[in-house]
Amino acid sequence: MADEVAVAVIGAEEVPAGIADAAYHVAVPADAVADDANLTLAPVVEGADVVIAEPTRHVKSVVGKLAAAAGASVITDALSIEGGVATEMYFGGVGQVKRQAETSCAFYTAGAGAFGDAQPSGGNGAAEELAWVAPANAVKLVSSSPIEKSGVDLTKSDVVVAAGRGFAEEGDLDLARAFCDKIGAGLGCSRPLAEGVNWMPTETYIGVSGLMLSPKVYVGVGISGQMQHMVGVKSAGTVFAINKDKNAPIFKQCDYGLVGDLKTILPALTAAL
Amino acid sequence: MNIVVAVKVVPDDQDIQVTAAGELDMSKAHQAISAYDLNAIEAAAQLAAAAGDSTVSVVTVGGSAIDDSKLKKNILARGADQLFMVADDAAADLDAHATAAALAEKIQAIGACDVVICGDGSADNYAQQVDVQLAAKLGVPSVNGVVKIEANGAAITAERKLEDVVEVVEVPTPCVLAVSPDVALPRIPGMKDILKAGKKPMDIAGAGEIAAATVKTIEVKAPEAAERKLDVKDAADDGAIEAFAAAIKAAL
Repeated sequence: MADEVAVAVIGAEEVPAGIADAAYHVAVPADAVADDANLTLAPVVEGADVVIAEPTRHVKSVVGKLAAAAGASVITDALSIEGGVATEMYFGGVGQVKRQAETSCAFYTAGAGAFGDAQPSGGNGAAEELAWVAPANAVKLVSSSPIEKSGVDLTKSDVVVAAGRGFAEEGDLDLARAFCDKIGAGLGCSRPLAEGVNWMPTETYIGVSGLMLSPKVYVGVGISGQMQHMVGVKSAGTVFAINKDKNAPIFKQCDYGLVGDLKTILPALTAAL
Repeated sequence: MNIVVAVKVVPDDQDIQVTAAGELDMSKAHQAISAYDLNAIEAAAQLAAAAGDSTVSVVTVGGSAIDDSKLKKNILARGADQLFMVADDAAADLDAHATAAALAEKIQAIGACDVVICGDGSADNYAQQVDVQLAAKLGVPSVNGVVKIEANGAAITAERKLEDVVEVVEVPTPCVLAVSPDVALPRIPGMKDILKAGKKPMDIAGAGEIAAATVKTIEVKAPEAAERKLDVKDAADDGAIEAFAAAIKAAL
């Protein structure tokens, strides 16, 4: 996309050598937040044609402020960027939209998947340290504590089972867990189970704003098949669905479906495997 | 405390149809409050209740279709006190930069404001950018991913849930907070709330000067769906569960 590439890293990590033409590092003061790194980075971004940012909350703040200062908007979560045209999800994957920046500098956020197997190259050595420039109304960091993860990394699972609102009681999830154990699957969920009733850890919900997975096997249990969830498993190898509602949209998006009560199907299925 | 909630009105995604040509047809879609903005309204209502002597103003900018009486009542039935709406086709489908500019103009016109609360991201674009653009326009700080809000003198103490860490931060007011859905469970308005909402102040206006577009939309299409076998059986049928199990085994 460009002849010259500069990389800037905010935070504790070291900047690897040999990945860009120039490298910068921003150390965030102990009582500051990474979101406020925009003024520090402004000189690096000045004159750039393209800015690509990591789609994390901290960096979305930083790149948003840089874009605002440039009178531009950020094209976010680009699935691909070709010839200056970015493809993004629209309505959580119900549609896809192609957009192009009309400003002199184009700002994007994009995950690693947007660039296929492109490899970094360049002659950068040690990164240049940028001196922190605090904004006028700085946000003060009081504390920062790591989130204890459930230990399940669904992005690495070949087999994923997702539980949805068809589970009427939290205890019924044990049926799904036993099923997962039998087929070596990781257990994920749709967003309401993580953020509505808090039965599942937030980092296990699949779909818009959550996990985007491409497992070999996906089994949706009590999942109705809303786009917001299904978009996260669209590229699964084989899609299985269990739902008591024969009209559930998931049955129009699966390879194999079973209509019935998950409380009777799951134990029978676990026994049959 | 003067609290502003910035919300987006979008076509209800449940009503969006995909045409044979792969276009999205929104002509039958109802106007709806973008889902995560419901949590933002509830967070504002709860913050107002906790702080006492507060006003919650909802501000929204969109095309003329958003001037819908059912929708306006729905917004005001959720604990908000007044509504400021720009409903003008010149303000339809604005990008983050222009949306923030239009919202900022409205918010500044309301007068003193301590906190602006935004949702996690809009149902259509989910860009998570209007909060930060709006803060830049207003010249105030912003944080996103907020799951707890506490008024603390001239600052807000906010807890933010990020990808790997939970941060507790002090944000000087006035400020913009983008809240995660976890922050508050939206209430379900009762008939009384909806009747009362109809009597609350609503300011519906045309657009002022709209900022030039910074992003051009080239095409909107439905994604191509993967071909699936669609082999669906009733679990009560003989051998259905066994066949399903065999298919899983074969796919593993």
